[in-house]
Amino acid sequence: MSTFLALLRRDLLVARRAAAFYLVSALTQPILVVLVFGNILPRIGLVADQFRTVMLPGLMSITMLMAGVQGVLMPLMTDLAGTREVDERLLAPIGVRGVALQRVVSGAIQASVAGLLAGPTMMLLMHGVNGLSIHPRWVLLMPLVALSGLLSAAFGLTLGSNVQPRFAGLLFAVVLGPMMLFGCAYYPFASLGVLGPLRFAFLLNPLVFISEAMRAAVTPGVAHMGTALLVAGFLLHLVLFAWLGSRSFEKRTIL
Amino acid sequence: MSASVSVQDLTKTYPGARKAPAVEAVRGVSFEVAPGEFFGLLGPNGAGKSTTLGCITTLVKPTGGRILVDGLDVVRQPIAAKRRIAVVPQVRNLDRDLTAREVLVYHGRYFGLPAAEREQRADRLLQRMQLQDKAAAKPLTLSGGLQQRLLIARALMHDPKVLLLDEPTIGLDPQARRLLWETLSDLHQQGLTLIMTTHYMEEADRLCQRLAIIDHGVILREGTPAALKQGLPGGQVLDLWLRSAQPLSPHLQQVPGVLRVEPLPADGPDEGERLRLFVDDGALARVLDVARQQGADLKHVSLQPPSLEDVYLQLTGRELRD
Repeated sequence: MSTFLALLRRDLLVARRAAAFYLVSALTQPILVVLVFGNILPRIGLVADQFRTVMLPGLMSITMLMAGVQGVLMPLMTDLAGTREVDERLLAPIGVRGVALQRVVSGAIQASVAGLLAGPTMMLLMHGVNGLSIHPRWVLLMPLVALSGLLSAAFGLTLGSNVQPRFAGLLFAVVLGPMMLFGCAYYPFASLGVLGPLRFAFLLNPLVFISEAMRAAVTPGVAHMGTALLVAGFLLHLVLFAWLGSRSFEKRTIL
Repeated sequence: MSASVSVQDLTKTYPGARKAPAVEAVRGVSFEVAPGEFFGLLGPNGAGKSTTLGCITTLVKPTGGRILVDGLDVVRQPIAAKRRIAVVPQVRNLDRDLTAREVLVYHGRYFGLPAAEREQRADRLLQRMQLQDKAAAKPLTLSGGLQQRLLIARALMHDPKVLLLDEPTIGLDPQARRLLWETLSDLHQQGLTLIMTTHYMEEADRLCQRLAIIDHGVILREGTPAALKQGLPGGQVLDLWLRSAQPLSPHLQQVPGVLRVEPLPADGPDEGERLRLFVDDGALARVLDVARQQGADLKHVSLQPPSLEDVYLQLTGRELRD
């Protein structure tokens, strides 16, 4: 356990030093989307004012997903490509899967910080506009943010340990892009009734649970998933990706 | 006293990717290293040295066999085994996001050293490796030799019982190499057990108390450098520089006491023929007689005990490896 915490401490030290880089890469997208979809388009009248409320928790979710995935993927790519910096971790007195799960926890912390910063930043940008109705439920928010961070980072571990570093760029186009569009970030899951049974296919996307969780915690006025389904979805995906990711990590690192 | 490291019937087969065939990198390697011993694995590229080392360090999963470090099975008790070993890898894998001093301190943290101890030890090791001026430098800004010293300092942070080094002097300039040799000798004198892979003969001869020459995944010969050299057929190496009208080798081959004749590359167009003969004691006079009878013009003759390189080339052959 002390090794796990020491590795985590090292990651957080490095992340803190590169805080500016992380913040810019995490917050640029939500800020730009808010400017266009939360400001310009409603003023032109092309988008309803209420969209601001629907969009805000969704953008927090996307921010967390991206920060969590990158928080694990980036160090993993350095680790696995050539220099084998990961060997120092693997030689520390901790199990191989412990090394993988530690990366998930450090990615989760980065994701949670990003999500918690993105929310107020966006609210500030939309201050005083019509149609924004935010009523955070703080007791729910913290554990759900933590779970969202863990799920994002575990997903990042699965991606990072299954994909060759030279294809990393492709991940954003082929995996993360579609995930964001079909992740219920810009519309609540409840509204997908129009798609019929097809809507259940969305549940394969882990981002759906993060978006719905943020909706439940930040904009409870908008229709959102029940807590039981939310928790079940989170746990199932979390266990699946943590298991898949750490298994592939072990296969990739121990020859 | 029981062995510090014991490798028993180790095999490792890497599964082939797609249609490539599986690679049998190690095919039944056994050896024991006593506490405080400096042991060397000598062999050409692709001989199985690094794989063997990798299996000892838990970074490579053995296909068969057993490895004990300090009596602990590295497959069954990897965490306990890892506390006892330290590795200086072939690829310099220093944490590029930390400073040199932080690299040491954090390594100490990973191994659960108390705060005061890890700070103290980091400073002591920086001093010892002559890195105190570089404490605040990022590893990637350091030269290869300095990085190598930092790797050794890092390895010593958690006070290991066995230090494993994979081709530690590759890419170092002669000064850095010599300094590294001194450091390793010091560590050995202080009682640390060392296992090193190398393909530099001078290094192996100078540092290692015992060597295993390994090729194609098996140990070909094992012993002290002196014993390995004595074990070479003939026990003497006779080099001849000469000029002769017809090839001399077939005649020399017939001389009693001459075990083998190898042509050596000539130095230049006018240098004539160079031959290396592996001979028994006392064959020199007979060889010179035959050469004279054949009308050869001897330029230079040297008789010397065999070097480790002679042993190595005799065992592993002269063909080029990738």
